[in-house]
Formats: sequence, structure tokens, C-alpha cells
Amino acid sequence: MREARSFTAAELAERGVDNLPDELVSNRHLIYSSPATLAFNSPGAEGFGVKRAGLAIPGSVMLVVAPGCCGRNTSLISDLPGYRDRFFYLTMDETDIVTGRHLRKIPQAVEEVVACLSTSPSVVMICITCVDALLGTDMERVCRKAQERAGVPVRPCYMYALTREGRRPPMVHVRQSLYALLQPLPKRPTSVNLMGFFAPLVDDCELYRYLAALGVRRVREVSRCEDYDEFLQMAEANFNLVLHPEARFAAADLQERLRIPSIELTRLYQIDRIHSQYQALGQVLGTTFDDADDMAAAREALEGFRSRAGRASFAIGECMNGDAFELALALVREGFVVREVFGTLGGENFVFLRRLAQHSPDTRVYSNMEPTMIHYDAASSPVDVAVGKDAAWYHPEAVRLHWNVDVQPYGYAGVRRLYEALADAWDGREVAL
Amino acid sequence: MRGLRKYLTPFAPDQSGAVAVLYELGGIVVICDAGGCTGNICGFDEPRWHTTRSAVFSAGLRDMDAILGRDDRLVDELVDAASKIDARFAAIVGTPVPSVIGTDYRALRRMCERRCDLPTITVDTTGMELYDVGASKAYLALFDRFATEAMPVVPGRVGVLGASPLDVDATDAAKLVAVVPGAVCYGMGQGLEAVAEASSAERNLVVSPSGLAAARLLRDRFGTPYVVDDPLAGDLVQGVDVAGRRVLVVHQQVRGASIRRELLARGAAAVTCATWFMQDAELTEPGDVRLSEEDDFAELVAEGGFDVLVGDPTLWRIVGGFDGTTVDVPQFAISGKLGERA
Repeated sequence: MREARSFTAAELAERGVDNLPDELVSNRHLIYSSPATLAFNSPGAEGFGVKRAGLAIPGSVMLVVAPGCCGRNTSLISDLPGYRDRFFYLTMDETDIVTGRHLRKIPQAVEEVVACLSTSPSVVMICITCVDALLGTDMERVCRKAQERAGVPVRPCYMYALTREGRRPPMVHVRQSLYALLQPLPKRPTSVNLMGFFAPLVDDCELYRYLAALGVRRVREVSRCEDYDEFLQMAEANFNLVLHPEARFAAADLQERLRIPSIELTRLYQIDRIHSQYQALGQVLGTTFDDADDMAAAREALEGFRSRAGRASFAIGECMNGDAFELALALVREGFVVREVFGTLGGENFVFLRRLAQHSPDTRVYSNMEPTMIHYDAASSPVDVAVGKDAAWYHPEAVRLHWNVDVQPYGYAGVRRLYEALADAWDGREVAL
Repeated sequence: MRGLRKYLTPFAPDQSGAVAVLYELGGIVVICDAGGCTGNICGFDEPRWHTTRSAVFSAGLRDMDAILGRDDRLVDELVDAASKIDARFAAIVGTPVPSVIGTDYRALRRMCERRCDLPTITVDTTGMELYDVGASKAYLALFDRFATEAMPVVPGRVGVLGASPLDVDATDAAKLVAVVPGAVCYGMGQGLEAVAEASSAERNLVVSPSGLAAARLLRDRFGTPYVVDDPLAGDLVQGVDVAGRRVLVVHQQVRGASIRRELLARGAAAVTCATWFMQDAELTEPGDVRLSEEDDFAELVAEGGFDVLVGDPTLWRIVGGFDGTTVDVPQFAISGKLGERA
């Protein structure tokens, strides 16, 4: 009988990040297509892919310039609140590809889009895809021409799936493209930007309070900007907090162009590591954060779940708000059993895998994308709880928590909400977040 | 402006049509893309994907694969997958990337067959045509390759061509099979064996234009006659009062024509058929319209004097000022939403 291929955490830790088996390296095999891989194959279909991210700026619209196939699933996004009438399409045919004539049509198309809207858009994002990546299109130049003709800012965003594993993959580039709209403003010491996500942190995240205690009066996130003018005010920030590594390049651009320095933080579910990170941040900012109550609240929620589930066993997926290996590590350090992780290993998270191997060497690691995943059978490895949309898909028999909504759990509040959600799921109650 | 869409998302592309035909046949289907096309095809255009596992893969192309034309890597990965999965055949489905770099599908097929001992077909879809073009190519490739042996005709056996979720707005062939005795619905509930035994059909029933080319191939190869009809069309417009009224039907051509026959029989004054998709000369009547742009549809409705519009409800946004009756007959290839009425 055929089985899905997996490796123990101990095996992988011993091999090292530079010697991963082919099964766990996505460019060494075909990519299996299942609902568990949708986030990889079509990031725009769920959460924030390039298309939705490109519309993060209030009042913006998008013109997708591509073969029809690239825009096909956009109606999934158009059906979401706030996205209706924000997508337009200029479909390409083979003659366009041969002659490049679609590029000459873009300024007129932008003008027609702007004309058909009741209010002028703040920005028109031009989304181009793999075809233009291969043609080597200079979309910056095309956008300048369109901007001159339509009289509104026009910016490119590159949905180049071909460059997904390059140095600047699409989700990195789209952040750079958005923040490139910011123009120099006088600095305000009381303003800070949170960069990285396209949806806000949970309202009760302690980070807002910690920054307020530091004297920060304006914490801006692109998703909380009411309008384009407020978005432009992000240029006055004293510093940027980078909460997702894909915003690193955008933050570096702002440092160079607008002289806004940045500090990078990591999303963690290990309570002691969150404490350490806040201590380190405090040191950089010349203060100390009083996090005792927040830490206690997170631990209380954890104990609340433990009192129900005991030493529950978990499967952790990567389609959720967090790093699968870090969350697995957090759980095993708290005494839970993690039987499986469905994830993608790389330089950034291998450190979590190493520590996971110390605490739980037999945890099995799968790649959602590997061809043998077609044989995956949950019956051979039952678990009590599955976290992540992918793990939940594999384990219909388990208590399931997708943990992948737009609003971002972060810090102690993220941990507290995770365990509260797990307790609710365990009790069979509807999970709010 | 030609090519500019303000109301409608693009319709299902050719690559989705090809995969829809191949999905249930038990092969390894490799979509020759970087990942995004596979996400669109499976995550949006293939409703069976959420409930039925199928060996569909993305080639996971990267920029250097495309620039350097590294077909050998694709073949290596297909060989690797074939060693891990029990499959009857392999199919490679094209997308814009191989279209731009001019992939030689014939060479690719030969390389694959030499290396992995699986019969292989290729479908040179580009992502720039519509789903029915891709489905037609896939049917043709399948039957040309696998329906080669003349078998004794089985009385009452009816081969159904052109049925996929994109055409018949359902995830299985239950309703079709219920109304067509002896139906063998290729690609829906039937595997590769049924394709190989296609010559045993007494006749073929073509329920969408995507099945026509294969039906003609089977007629020429085995003498199997075919009829073109959608036996479910009548149910879709039940209860609609059309007596003395002028009707415009917008759908794939076979369903549209079948609805027309039904409505005329019920006393409609006139029925015009329009389609965004393939329009076969054999099925076209004077006055039928092939639509391409949103403006084409808006003008047709504005100038046609119709009392009733029949089609996918997504289209009604374009003609917001129409004050007649609209009748919803969903088409998955347009809206991506299953009506599940067929």
C-alpha cells in the first residue's frame, strides 16, 4: 500500500537545512494540487494574495492586465465586503504577446476605468502576471504614461508566480510597490507604523498599549487607514515595526528613501520567547515593558485549554496565522503532543525545527506539495486537534481550528486567543477567531 | 474598448476546460505552470476538487526553467511522480508560460513516454482561449490516443460527450444518466476504460460544443453516429411564461439551442441564441450571435427588443436598465458558481 512520505523532526535536524530530502524541497518535484496547497498555488484565492494586497490602499482599484486565466478566480475576492467594483480586466491574447500592443492600450484602459467610476480612485494598481515577466515588460514606464493620461497615481504590482522562490517574490514586491507611494513628510516622534500585514492586529493586542505607554500617539497600519490621505501620513513615522519578513524590503526602501528606521519582530506562540522579544524591543527603545498581566492572561488561557484537553495530540498545518514549526514547538514545550507538521522548511524556520527535534524527535514532517500526499490517510495517524486549514482538511475526524482569518493574532493576545479558540473548538462551540 | 472588462471576471479558460475533461480519468495531470494557473483551475474551476482526490499537479515552473527551457526537469519530475502514483496515463496541459516560450509539446510527449512508460497526451492550451476550446482539445487528444480499437457495438449504449461541470453545471452525471438510458458519460463517473471502449457505443450524444470534434473523430473512425442535444435543457426553463414573447438565450450553444426548441414549442414568438463560447456552424441558425465584449451584449439587449433574457445571472449587471423578465440558468464557466440544476 502506498503512503505519504514524511520524515521525523530528528531525521531532519540531523540532515540540516542544506541537506533536506527532495520531498521537502518544492522545486525538486511536481506540486501536488489539493485544498491543502491552495495557499501555495493560488495565494490570492484565500487570505491576501497579490490582488487583494494590491488593493490595501483605501479607495484604490486594480486593472488586471493578463491572459483571462490569471483573472479567473478574482470573483472570489470581488464577492468579499469592500472589494466589489474594484477589479477591472484588460485581457491579453496571443497577438498582444507577440506584438506587445497590450502595453499601448493600458493608458487608455486606465482612463476608461477612471471615467466609469463615480468617484476618482486614489490609486490604480496595474497587476501583471507571468507573461509580462517573460516579456521583460517595463511596467514602471507604462504606469507613468497611464498616470499622465488618467490624472491619478498608477502603480504596478507583479503577480509573477514564476519568481515565487526568488529574492523578491510577488508578496515582497507588492509591499514595496504600495509603500513606494509614500512621499517625504516631517517626522513625528509620536508616530509609528506597523508593517507586514494587510489586515490589522487584533484590537486587544498589547503592542498598542506598550507603544502608547512609550508616548506613541499614532500607530498606523495600512489596513486601518480610513482614506488615502491617512495612508500618506505613514510617511511621518518615527520608526517602523516590521511584523512579517515579507515587509523587510519595503521597510528597507523606506529607510533609504524617507529615513524611517525599522525594527523587526517575529510572531511567536512561545510565551517565554514573546517576553524575551519585548524585553529586547524595550532595550532598543530605551524602556521596559510591563508585560506581567498580559503574560499571565496568555498562560491562564493555556491552562484553560489544558484543563479540558489534557495532553492532547495535534497536527499543525501551515495554512494559518503563524509558523507551523514555531507553533508546534510552543505546544510541545507546554506538554502537548504534536504528531505531525505540514509545512515548508527554510532558513528562517529551521531553527524551530531543531528545537522541536530536541523536545519531540518523533514528530513527523510532511510537505503539502509532495506528490505522495495524494496517499495521505488520516486513519494511520489520528490526532485530537488539527490547527490550520490544511491540517483540518487532512483530519476531518479531529477537533479543527483553521486559525487563518484576516485579522492577525499577535503577541500575548495572539496566544491567549489561540488557546481560547482551541478551548471553544474542543467544547464544540463556534470559534470567533 | 476591446478586451476591457468592467463588470465580468474572465470566463473559464481553455486550461480549465482541458483539466475538467481529464479530472476523473485516473491519470497524472500536469499543468505546465508556475502554480497560479493550477490554483485557478483546481481552486475555482473544478468543483469536484474539494470532494474528490485526483492526481493533478503543477509543474511548479520557475523563471529559470522558462528562460532556459528546462523541459528535462519537468520530465524528471513526472517520472518521479509516476513512480509514486498508480496512474493509467499522463497528460500535460499548457498555460501561458509554455505558450510564450514555445514549448514543443510533441517532443515533450515523446520524452515522457520514453522515460516513464506511461501513455502520454499533451494539450496545447494557452490560458488565452475559453474553456470549451481546451475541453475540445482534451477530448480529441484522449479519443485519438486511446479509442483506437473497433469493438462490437453494444445495443443501447450511448456515449455522452461534452459533459463537464463547466458545461452542465453539476459535479456528476446522475441527472444525465437518469434521462439517457445506456448513457456512458465520458469524464464524469467513467474512467479511461470507457474512453478505450468508445467504439462500442451505438451512438454518441453531444451535450456541448466541446464534444463535437471528438464525436466527429469517432464517426469518421468507427462510423458511430452522433446527435446534438441537451436532454436536461427543458427542465431549466420550466414554469417560464414565454407565450408570444421575444426571448434571448445566452448559454453554451447546445444548451442554448435546446432551450430554444423548448421555448418555441411553448409558444415563444421568437428565440435568439447568443453565446460567449464556441459557435459551430452546424448548430447555428440565422440571427444567432457570437459575443465577445461586454458591450456586444449590452448592445444586443438594447437593440434586440427582447421581453425575456435567459442566462447566467452574472450577466444581468451589464444590462441593469433591462425592464423585461430575466430567467437564471447558471453556467459555471461564466460565474464559477454551481447552480446544480442540471
